[in-house]
Amino acid sequence: MSKNTVIKVENLSKQYLLNKGGLPKSDTLFGSFLNGLRNVKNITSKPQTEEFWALKDISFEVEQGDRVGIIGRNGAGKSTLLKILSRITPPTKGKIEYTGRMASLLEVGTGFHGDLSGRENIYLNGSILGMHKHEIDRKFDEIVAFSEIEKFIDTPVKRYSSGMYVRLAFAVAAHLEPDILIVDEVLAVGDAAFQDKCLGKMNEVSTKEGRTILFVSHQMAVLSALCNKSVLLEKGQFVGMGPTDSIINTYLHRGEKNTGQNYDDSAPVKGAKLKIRSVRVLNHVQTTVSEINNAYKGFIEIGFEVLEKSRGYDVSLELKHLQYGTIFTTCLKDKDTEGNDNKVWEKGLHKYSIELPMDLLREGEYIISAAATIPKVEVLDVFNYDTLFSILDSTSPVAKTTEGRNGAILPVIEWKKTDSVII
Amino acid sequence: MNKDKIIIDPNLSSFFSWNDIIRYKSLLNNLAKRDFLVRYKQAFAGIMWALIKPLMSILVFGYISTKISNSENTATNFVYVASAMLLWQLFSNVFNDVSNSIISNSNLFSKVYFPKIIIPLSTILVCLVDFFISLIILVVLFVISGQSLHWQIIFAPLFILLTVINGLGLGLYFATINVKYRDVKFIVPVILQFGMYVTPVIFNTNYYLDRMPSWLHWLFCLNPMVGAIDGFKYALFGSDSIYNIYYFSLSVCVSFLFLFIGIKYFYKFERNFVDYI
Repeated sequence: MSKNTVIKVENLSKQYLLNKGGLPKSDTLFGSFLNGLRNVKNITSKPQTEEFWALKDISFEVEQGDRVGIIGRNGAGKSTLLKILSRITPPTKGKIEYTGRMASLLEVGTGFHGDLSGRENIYLNGSILGMHKHEIDRKFDEIVAFSEIEKFIDTPVKRYSSGMYVRLAFAVAAHLEPDILIVDEVLAVGDAAFQDKCLGKMNEVSTKEGRTILFVSHQMAVLSALCNKSVLLEKGQFVGMGPTDSIINTYLHRGEKNTGQNYDDSAPVKGAKLKIRSVRVLNHVQTTVSEINNAYKGFIEIGFEVLEKSRGYDVSLELKHLQYGTIFTTCLKDKDTEGNDNKVWEKGLHKYSIELPMDLLREGEYIISAAATIPKVEVLDVFNYDTLFSILDSTSPVAKTTEGRNGAILPVIEWKKTDSVII
Repeated sequence: MNKDKIIIDPNLSSFFSWNDIIRYKSLLNNLAKRDFLVRYKQAFAGIMWALIKPLMSILVFGYISTKISNSENTATNFVYVASAMLLWQLFSNVFNDVSNSIISNSNLFSKVYFPKIIIPLSTILVCLVDFFISLIILVVLFVISGQSLHWQIIFAPLFILLTVINGLGLGLYFATINVKYRDVKFIVPVILQFGMYVTPVIFNTNYYLDRMPSWLHWLFCLNPMVGAIDGFKYALFGSDSIYNIYYFSLSVCVSFLFLFIGIKYFYKFERNFVDYI
C-alpha cells in the first residue's frame, strides 16, 4: 500500500446462490421443515442452487483525493461493489483495506420518517449516516440553508413535496465529513439546478478538502465532469481503470453493435391498438446504415401497425446521445401537415420518416427509442429495442481543428461584429 | 490525524463491543426517539396509552386473582399482581419488539453500515420508557393499599435489568431467525401468551409449586422470568417472596445463558442479514 493509497481492493469476489429447480428452498419455517423431511427420505438430492458471481476478482487502488467513477451496464456489479465497500454485505473472497472514516450514500434520506418533522429527520438521518449529535448541532443551520426549506423545518416531511424531501435529504448527506464518500446515483433525483448544486458541493469537498469520492452514475456527462478516474466493470469482471474520458470511451465501444435498424415481428398484446414494428436509420440514398457522415443528410424511419381503426394516435421518437443524454424528442403531430391531428387511422402498416438536423448534431453514438401514445390518455406501445447508430464528423469546425468542445449539440453559428457602444 | 485502518474480508467477524455502542450513541438515541415519537403521533390520548394498556390487564387479572385465591386483602393482592404484571409486560414488549426490530428496520442497514445491535438496543430504550411511565400505576396502588417500602427496594433496578436481559436474549435469538423465517412474527405472541400462565404473574411462585409434584419444580424454575419476578417482588415487598433460593438461582442462571446464546447467535449471522432479508 503506497503512502497515498486510501482504498485497496484485492481480488474481491461476491457470490450469490440462486435457486434452480429441484427442491425449492423454502421461505417458511414449516416449509423448510417439510423439505427437511423430504430430504431425509431422499438423501442424495441436494437442493439445487446455481452459483452466481456478482463480482469476480476485482482489484484496484484509490489514492487520496481521487474522484473515482464506477461505470458499467445494469448488472455489471456496481451496486454490489459499493455495498461491500460500505460494509453492508460481506465479500465471499478477497479483501478491502481502507483508511479513514467512510460514509456511504446509496440512497438519499435513509431512515426518513414521514411523521417526523424536518428538524427531527435531520437528526435521525444524520445519526444514521454516522454523525454525532454535536456535529449535527454545529451544522444544523448550514443544512437547513442548503436545503432551502427554512419555513417548513417543523412540518412533518410527509407533507413535503418530493423536491423538498430530496433537497433536505441531500443537504444532510452533503454535510457529512467523511474521508471517503461513496455515492450511488442519488443525483438522478431533484431538478437540474439542485443537481448542479450537489455536484458543485461534491467537487468542492473533494478538491478543497482532499476527500476521496467513489461515484456510480449512468450519466456520462456527470461522470466526466466530476471524476478524474474511473473503473469499468462488465458482468462482474474488472475491465479497466484510468482517466474518466478514456474509460468512458472504452465503455461506449464495448458490447452492443451498431446496426442502425430494429424490427419487432412479435404478436401484439391482446387488445393492443397500435404496435411499432420497425425503426431504421437511413442515409442520403435511403439505405439502412449504422453510421452517418454529417456531410450528408440522415433520416430515421419508423413503421407501425394500426390494429384498431381510430383517431388520436401519436408516435414519438427520442434521440439520445450516449454521453450527453437526450437531445430531443419529436412527435408525429408536431407539424400538422397532413391533418394528422384529426386523421382516422386505418388498419395496416404505416411508415413515416424524419430528417435529422445534421448541422446541429455532434459526432458520437446515438440511441433512438420510439413510443406510441394517445396524448394525455394512454401509452399504446413502447418499442422494445434501442436502435444504435453513430454520426461521423467530417465537416464541423471541431473536426477540422481536432479541438475538444463542450456541449450536447454542435451548431455552427455565425458571429457578427457589432457597433454597439454600450459595454 | 489518527486514522483507523479498516480491513473488510470474508472471515471478519464482529462481536459485541461497548466501543461500537459508544460510537453510535446518537444513533441509538435517535432511533429510540423516533419510535417513541411516532408511536403516539396523531393519537388523541397520546402517551396516556402507555398507562391504559397495562392498567386494563392489571384490573382484569387482579380481579381474577382476588376471586380465585380468596385473599382477604384485595388492595394488597392488586399490588402483587400489578408489580408482576408490569414486569411481565416489560419482558413481553422487549421480547416481541426486539424479535421484530431487525426486519422492520432492514431499510436502514441495507443502505448504511452501522452495528446492527444498535437496533434492538434502541427498541429496549423505548420499552423501558413505557415501563417507567407505567410504574405510576404501581406507585398509586402502593399509596392506596398502604404498603410501606423496605430497604430491599434498592435491588429493584437489578431485577428490572434482569427482565430486560431475558427479553433481549430471547429476542435476539428470534430476531435472527426472523430474518429468514417470518413465522417468528406469529410464534412469539403464542409463546408469550402461554408463558404468562407458567410464570408467577397472577399467582405467586408458591401457589404454583404447591400444586405441582416436586420433580416438576425445577422445570418450572427453568423459566427465566420466575427469577426476575420473584426478585422484583422481594425488592418491593420483602422477605418471603423468594420461595427457594436454589430455584431462584437456577432461574437467574438460565437468564444469562439465554442472553449468551442470543448474542452469540445474533453475531454469527449478523453480517449476512442483508443477503437474506
